[in-house]
Amino acid sequence: MSDTILQTKNLSKTFSSGRGKKKKDVEAVKGVDLEVKQGEIFGFLGPNGAGKSTTLNILTTLLAPSNGAATVAGYDLLREPKKVREQIGYVSQAGGADTASNAFENLLLQARLYGISKVQAQQKAKELVERFQMTEFAQREASTYSGGQKRRLELALGIVHQPKLVFLDEPTTGLDPQSRAYFWGEIARLKKEGMTIFLTTHYLEEADNLCDRVAIIDHGTIVALDSPLQLKREIGGETIAVDFLNEKDREQAKTLFGNLKAVQKIYPQDNKLHLVVQDGESLIAEVLRMLDKEHISIQTIGLSRPSLDDVFLQKTGRSLREEKK
Amino acid sequence: MKKLQDIFLLFKRHLKKALRTPIWLFIGLSQPVLYLLLYMPLLKNMGATSLLPTAEIVRVFVPGMLVIMGMGSLFAGFSFIDEIRQGIISRWLVTPTGRVGLILSLVMNQLLTLFLQSCILLIIALFFGLHVSLVGIILTLVLILFIGITMSSFSYAISLSVKDEGILASITNTFYLPMMLLSGIMLPISFAPNWIKNMALFNPFYYAVEASRCLFAADYGNIMVVKGFAVMIAFTLLSLWLAVRALNKMAV
Repeated sequence: MSDTILQTKNLSKTFSSGRGKKKKDVEAVKGVDLEVKQGEIFGFLGPNGAGKSTTLNILTTLLAPSNGAATVAGYDLLREPKKVREQIGYVSQAGGADTASNAFENLLLQARLYGISKVQAQQKAKELVERFQMTEFAQREASTYSGGQKRRLELALGIVHQPKLVFLDEPTTGLDPQSRAYFWGEIARLKKEGMTIFLTTHYLEEADNLCDRVAIIDHGTIVALDSPLQLKREIGGETIAVDFLNEKDREQAKTLFGNLKAVQKIYPQDNKLHLVVQDGESLIAEVLRMLDKEHISIQTIGLSRPSLDDVFLQKTGRSLREEKK
Repeated sequence: MKKLQDIFLLFKRHLKKALRTPIWLFIGLSQPVLYLLLYMPLLKNMGATSLLPTAEIVRVFVPGMLVIMGMGSLFAGFSFIDEIRQGIISRWLVTPTGRVGLILSLVMNQLLTLFLQSCILLIIALFFGLHVSLVGIILTLVLILFIGITMSSFSYAISLSVKDEGILASITNTFYLPMMLLSGIMLPISFAPNWIKNMALFNPFYYAVEASRCLFAADYGNIMVVKGFAVMIAFTLLSLWLAVRALNKMAV
């Protein structure tokens, strides 16, 4: 298909640790099939250790897969990694700005490594300094930058060669809300300019706001892949979340609500019970009545429309919000 | 062409960074200079009694100090680990620049430092009465540069696999001292008992030290010169290969 920019088939990676009898194989990625369409913002979510980084490392040519194949930006990942590198941009979680140089030098070298001529590279660096509002500090050593300033430089470094596809690994982690909003604007602008964006994030608002489609990876396999809206729709109407005092009460309530017809799905999390229901507003009274009858006390009860976090919780059994720490 | 240009561009960047903290040039230099100042005079007095003719002492001792400095490139990985952690290395790896070129640019930067240090050491040695031919010096410097490539590449390879300064420190220190002692840097291995002589045969730097001593003595045709170059070239290639391999496996 012509509008596919990234496609993986059965992508797998096994790490072996230890030697001899203690040798253990760990399957970090087990047969991942993904398809990213040209021009979309594709969100890639998963709990820590789910295979997110490994997949990203494979797709950015940093790591060879043990098995499977992928086409990235029109080239075979295994056969033509260099061609792939020419076409993609990458901003790692660590960032990668050279703190011993200033923003301008960073951009200049990066452009030159992509084979851009000296004159054009200078032009491009100047352009990006203006675009990302770095004029004020572009001639200062990057070790003096604030978190937001450094991050801006790193995004600029990732797109210096105008890649077709750019990988952003947690681009806004650790930034204050204002900087985050700035980045969301810039990422949306990149999309408008025709770039495809592959994004990992820990912030569900970010995935919800920015991403056209989202994939969730857990234990090395893709457990969900669709638009945020569709994913939320899939898990049903609304969620009643009841917070109990202890797990015993929670379990008792779980059997109790299991008999209710209106409850489509139940999933526990710590002392909480999430009930996926239709018409939650009328059901909430019924739930309270039932709990009262059994003398089960609760801390809080709430009704919410499904969020991506509910999707995440249901697919992986963990909340992304907790993962953040 | 693009490959050479990339090496040059990256080398320029490393050099700029190194120039920001020129203190490193002198830290690497301090150890051999201290040996020269505080240890060699002892040998001189020993020489006066029996071991070696006094005139020979400087000529035997200085090549060892040059080798020590070359071996010091084993510590090149320390500043490199910080760059790995900051994501600078992986950022470059995702650009079309070559893996070999990236390692070579780092090695070249290390070699420039090593070359300057060696020159300073030789100038100091002249004041101690070093007499040696230009050919001997040039060939020895080439040999020292091979040691520099070997040690820095090993250091980068280890850094890429452990990504931790503490582990790098314990690995390098474990190897550095026995390698140094078994190479005859302090005193020629010919003074040693047989079992030490036999162990030295497995130490590549023993050959380098012997070769550089022959070169300083203008004994260019000695078989030890050939052996020294052969061993160091082999280790140069092996270490570079390991460093590039580690680069390809870094993102674990």
